[in-house]
Amino acid sequence: MTGPAVLRLRRFLSAACLLMLTYGLLSPLGAQAHEIGTTNVRLTLHKDNTWLAEITTGPLALLNKLETAAGDWPSRDLSADAIRDRLDAIKPAIAPYIEVRFDGHLSPARVEIAYVEMPADITQPSFAVLLAYGKVPARAHNISWRYGLVYSTYAVVFADAKGDSPVTQWLDSDAESKPFPLVSAAARPTALRIAAQYLELGFRHIVPEGLDHILFVLGIFLLSSKLKPILVQVTCFTVAHSVTLGLTMYGVLSLPSRVVEPLIAFSIAYVAIENILTPKLTPWRPVVVFGFGLIHGMGFAGALADLNLPRDEIIPALVSFNVGIELAQLSVIAVAFFTTTYWIGNKSWYRAGFEIPVCLAIAATGLFWTVQRVAGL
Amino acid sequence: MLTGQAARGAFSVLAALYVAITLVASAFALPARAHDFWIEPSTFHPRPGGIVALGLRVGQNYVGDPVPRQSSAIDRFFIRQVGPDGKGSQDQSIEGSNNIDPAGFLRADGRATAVIGYSSNGSYIELPADKFEDYLRLYGLNAIIAERDKRGERAKPGRERFYRYAKALLTGARDSALPAQPLGFAYEIVPDADPTVPAGPLRGRVLYDGRPLAGALVEALWRDDPRVKLAARSDPQGGFSFALPRAGVWMIKSVHMVRAGFFAPSDWDSLWASLTFNAPIAMAKTVSDAGTQP
Repeated sequence: MTGPAVLRLRRFLSAACLLMLTYGLLSPLGAQAHEIGTTNVRLTLHKDNTWLAEITTGPLALLNKLETAAGDWPSRDLSADAIRDRLDAIKPAIAPYIEVRFDGHLSPARVEIAYVEMPADITQPSFAVLLAYGKVPARAHNISWRYGLVYSTYAVVFADAKGDSPVTQWLDSDAESKPFPLVSAAARPTALRIAAQYLELGFRHIVPEGLDHILFVLGIFLLSSKLKPILVQVTCFTVAHSVTLGLTMYGVLSLPSRVVEPLIAFSIAYVAIENILTPKLTPWRPVVVFGFGLIHGMGFAGALADLNLPRDEIIPALVSFNVGIELAQLSVIAVAFFTTTYWIGNKSWYRAGFEIPVCLAIAATGLFWTVQRVAGL
Repeated sequence: MLTGQAARGAFSVLAALYVAITLVASAFALPARAHDFWIEPSTFHPRPGGIVALGLRVGQNYVGDPVPRQSSAIDRFFIRQVGPDGKGSQDQSIEGSNNIDPAGFLRADGRATAVIGYSSNGSYIELPADKFEDYLRLYGLNAIIAERDKRGERAKPGRERFYRYAKALLTGARDSALPAQPLGFAYEIVPDADPTVPAGPLRGRVLYDGRPLAGALVEALWRDDPRVKLAARSDPQGGFSFALPRAGVWMIKSVHMVRAGFFAPSDWDSLWASLTFNAPIAMAKTVSDAGTQP
């Protein structure tokens, strides 16, 4: 490849990686859609009242979509020049798939093929860059984007000509973006906002998404209706999972989820069964809970690792994510306490009539999950 | 009197004729938000020792967007090939770089037909009620429409968790029994014999949790012109049969959907199976014989 081609490839890879990294941060938490593809869009608004969309996408897939839509056979095994020639010939057919709307009104697009890269090395990605542009109407308040030639999930970045405060939206195939305000561009998320996002993520990782962690915390809670055993166990659990969460995020520790997940399930069964066998805080119980906390911490790390955090954000993310987990744990215990133990904890039948049956159910669930996860069902 | 296998073939061909006519045109007319997923090797005929790039694709009508490798989404991604002594089999993980397309690379053995397997962890998607129902109809999941109707959910958005189970066959110097052996995926298309060697109509089974699944819509798409499309419902033994009318690369695909567990955040689990391979010769004289449309 030539020098400029290498630079373009680097630019493409950098943009793709950056978008991947920001995916977890900027997308609505937990809202997944199709697989993330290689398409990405940068939509820039210029001071001369024009807009420009740079669409980076797979060249052969783009051509094949247009060919099949026109009722033609899809091309195969074409060179970059051949694909460019064909795209140039049919580029007016691309414009109808690009919908840029200002306050709901369509701004017609013109399309140019900027370049097409098809490295001879099969280990390198291929990509094409389209430039679409049009006019921004006077006194427009917002802009929305829709692109009909993509099947995967992709990012569209809204930016002004200076590139200040770009805002990313993730769209699923041909979905329309939310309106992006033109007047007061949304500000870059503040550190506080980012911390709040990870705190929410940590909380949601337990409540409501982490039923297994909830059952483990309930197992800790149900050992005794007294405060001290609960505090001792929660402290051990918190210290332990904080340690492994951090070590796992920094790559010091690594256990495959096929190992971690069954152990988490087993930990649930263990604490519940021990609750049935004894109502007292045994000397080994804090040690065991600490050990299980180490395992749960690795499970928590999975949720953060999936976000591909930038390295300089790992510590604030870890802290706020951990705080979210703690708040969720304390919430579980508080709800459990005020809905049950507070009212019936001093009844003579509390252990036989409530604690043991609930622990039996938790133990059965934990054992079921253990078998299920070991068997990979 | 028809033998069991012949009866199975006749059943599948009749089903193909019926289903293809009703479905093929609509597949091009309807924009669907749910998309197929398959493995696209840089070559289906690797030479021994050659590097094969494995692309993942999401799309429809055999036109797909590249999907970069995302390790957190991968459950298993491996190649199964015959053992070093020519017997048995061995699995080897497919390596690759995160966020890069192609998603994986391997050095081809080339001695016998090898199987590439990819299974994903579940991903959540929510579709508006009308789009969800369009997609259910398009993929022949009429039983789910009926079930949603029975539950009074037809006006509600479709909340599903989808899992991908993609396979691709790399043609080797000789055939292999491996393509006819399940990889153990939750949903899987398993040919009765190695389809990369000339052997008459393509016959196979769809397996759900390792057991044959009856009534599943199975479709075959020709890569060179995805409008050449066959469709059939699996018989009570999970069997299907296609007389592939063209030589070249084909994708066999099927989607199965089940109600999600009580504690799951979604209402439905969908399982997407695909099998891509190169058929060496046409298995039927004309396209129309097999129920395809131009």
